[in-house]
Amino acid sequence: MVVGEIAESIDLLVVGAGPGGYVAALRAAELGRQVVVVDRGGPEGGLGGACLHVGCIPSKALIELAHTRAQVERLGAAGLEVESVAIDMRRFQIWKQEIVDRLAAGIGTLFKQASIRHIVGELRFNRPDRAAVLLPDGNVMFLEFEQAIIATGSRSVELAELPFDGDRVLSSTGALALAELPRSVAVVGAGYIGLELGMALAQLGVQVSVIEALDRVLPSFEAALTRPVLRNLKRLGVELHLSSLARGLQDGGLLVEQRGATRLVPAEKVIVAVGRIPNTDDLGLGPAAVPVGEDGRVQVDERRLATPRVAAIGDVTAGPALAHKASAEAAVAAEALCGLPVAFEVSAIPAVAFTDPEIATAGLTETHAREAGFDVAVARSSLGASGRAATLGAREGFTSVVSDRETDRVLGVHIVGPHASELIAEGTLAVEMVASPVDLLGTIHPHPSLSESLHDAAAGLLARPPVAVG
Amino acid sequence: MALEFVLPDVGEGIDAAEIVEWHVAAGDRVNEDQPLVDIQTDKAVVAIPCPTTGEVLELRAQVGETIEVGQVLAVFEPAAGDAAPTVKAAGDEAPAIKPGADSVPAVSSGGDAAPAQPIQPRRPLASPAVRKLARTSGIELSSLSGSGEGGRITRDDVEAALAGRSGSAERSASEVNGGGTAPPSFATPGESAHDEIVPLRGTRRAIARALTQSWQTIPHVIDYREVDAGELVETRLALRARAVRRGDARVAEALTLTPLIIKMVAATLPLHPYANASVDLEREEITLRAECNIAVAVAAEQGLITPVVHRAQRKSIGEIGLEVGELAQAARENRLRPEQLRGGTFTVNNYGSLGIWLGTPIIPPGQVVNFGLGKLEERAVVRAGEIVIRPIIPIAVSGDHRILDGHTLAAFVSDVVELIERPSLLAGELR
Repeated sequence: MVVGEIAESIDLLVVGAGPGGYVAALRAAELGRQVVVVDRGGPEGGLGGACLHVGCIPSKALIELAHTRAQVERLGAAGLEVESVAIDMRRFQIWKQEIVDRLAAGIGTLFKQASIRHIVGELRFNRPDRAAVLLPDGNVMFLEFEQAIIATGSRSVELAELPFDGDRVLSSTGALALAELPRSVAVVGAGYIGLELGMALAQLGVQVSVIEALDRVLPSFEAALTRPVLRNLKRLGVELHLSSLARGLQDGGLLVEQRGATRLVPAEKVIVAVGRIPNTDDLGLGPAAVPVGEDGRVQVDERRLATPRVAAIGDVTAGPALAHKASAEAAVAAEALCGLPVAFEVSAIPAVAFTDPEIATAGLTETHAREAGFDVAVARSSLGASGRAATLGAREGFTSVVSDRETDRVLGVHIVGPHASELIAEGTLAVEMVASPVDLLGTIHPHPSLSESLHDAAAGLLARPPVAVG
Repeated sequence: MALEFVLPDVGEGIDAAEIVEWHVAAGDRVNEDQPLVDIQTDKAVVAIPCPTTGEVLELRAQVGETIEVGQVLAVFEPAAGDAAPTVKAAGDEAPAIKPGADSVPAVSSGGDAAPAQPIQPRRPLASPAVRKLARTSGIELSSLSGSGEGGRITRDDVEAALAGRSGSAERSASEVNGGGTAPPSFATPGESAHDEIVPLRGTRRAIARALTQSWQTIPHVIDYREVDAGELVETRLALRARAVRRGDARVAEALTLTPLIIKMVAATLPLHPYANASVDLEREEITLRAECNIAVAVAAEQGLITPVVHRAQRKSIGEIGLEVGELAQAARENRLRPEQLRGGTFTVNNYGSLGIWLGTPIIPPGQVVNFGLGKLEERAVVRAGEIVIRPIIPIAVSGDHRILDGHTLAAFVSDVVELIERPSLLAGELR
């Protein structure tokens, strides 16, 4: 054996410190395990992972700024007069960074309290029970672990025609770090990441174009849910180029090809948000004997175990690349490795697009429920009937409930409107609890509130009159 | 017309089984009742015979694969003239055959059409808390029928299933475990990369769960005695000699101590109904058993198995001996039928053959006594002030202290001991 390759024996290794890794580490520590967390640090790493540093949290900070500006305009009709609204992106970046730093420090405190050791470095497995860690100072340390949890997340897909250059062509990371607002932005990809960013920038006064290869925006959401968003995109003057491909940069902007015709879309900056790929290619999963599919995702069982000693969670596994899915899997993986009888067996993973209005969905859509052979009933309550929505200046949006008549249970809840991201939790609970629409109807919802809309949709399923509007 | 042979329901509560070994291959000509496949349920390895005479078209499961009751095991082309076969699955279960050629194949939705949500829509209806309770209790939700609205499985349903295990020995072993409040058993992480991790499956899992439940729920009271077996030994030898003289060497061979003890236990139990019983705390009921179905502990390769001598009180010592011999043989060869494993009301465990002096018999779920027999040895004992050498058999009889007090158990044991010491008293059983 080469001198220097003497491995340090550790108990549980967690690779990655995002919403999967840090939650897994804390749960395992709670169960009495000695945990070592290795993450690569850097701009997209650190405690909290991409979600905290360059994803969910910074994007919500930007979206809050944008939505508030839009809300100020909306309430002009209510008499809110503002002489001028200015956006200072430098101040925003400081504010955002304070939020991120505070939350990351909070995770650090939790780690300390749980006696979790945190190592910054790039980890690569070299055996089923061993890994090498390249430390920032260039040294390499070896860890011999009893068990491991892989939670290395995902990264933005790069387009060959538009490689990220950190200047004109940005990933979502770069877009969230803008110190100045560009005059024009072309967003490539109309998934939720691209559309959230594009919409927020448009609300902040940037001229935004969105280029999407498919023939619709937000393809992972049902078309009906996206219509209120589409109408607001038009109002904001966002130019949509559907069934179109980005072909490369030109001085004046972005070359976009649609049905064989090419045109130039103005773009001081280009944001590419065409998907994410799992961070599994450089981990040494071969030597670790961890099975990986052709899509680069680790293959795991219901306990999230890829091998008897290695679990994988979050974006590196199948399913939607969402932080809350990773966190839920984290607890399962940690408990499974501690010998507890557990499984990842949720009925619904909620998904949210923080567009304006927000879209949130949990459980089966009407289409999927019919495909699955349920005796489907659907009812919808429009936000137009909601007193609270009216006072928020919101008219567009709805809540729909999909149920199975045979078993009298809620299969899915789908919400478009303000605060849909908050409201969906009740729908997720209903799906998970196998609730009947009667359960929703029999639960008093506060008036006036947006949450009444779920109650009213359930009433629609049961053909009862909704509550009073006034 | 091709016949799809589905995995029959081989025993109460067993809803899945692992393929252990195929005895036929695709293309084979087979006869009805010829061995088809050995499957491992949570209780035991069960042999399933061919349902028909004809040709094997296809085997639908691989060795090691777990398939569910109702899933197709194999496809047959019945021989001409055998077109409408009546099929007996293993045991006396109803035929489990559905016509294959005419039936619509199961449609699996294509990958593209799969919902983005990882929902499993057709699984049992239960809330997360109930699912967790079931999982930690080792109860298969799919084996329960929910009492809630629309078939929802409630916490009460899971708890009833848990409690029901102690009420009936006939429950599926897959439902048996140590109870929902059991502390988590932490897997010891391997000491090194060379440690082997063996999944807890099949018979071993069933044993682990049943014993955990017994040990955690049944307060054991144990009656230890050293019994003079001089006359028992003589009786056994005399019975043996008589069997040989009658030309019945099989009976002679089968006349070990076990059938004698079983006979003595079965002859005594009617006088002590609470020793042949089961207790259900949930329903607050004690069931006094009408029959003496004596389960006999057998050490088989896959672990401890307890096949049952049914209605032992109605059988002769020779009959019991032959049956015990056959059951033990079948257990070792993995060909016990489900009904041979069901219905035990009392257990006899002759661990003396392993060299054990005093044991600690653990009472199986659904019973209240486990009668342990140690190794028969010559020992120095005091008789009438003299040290003499006598053949002594140590017994350790565990009773469920919830329904058997020290003195009620002792009264039962004393009566059995009296028969062991004076086997001629069995003549009182003659009718």
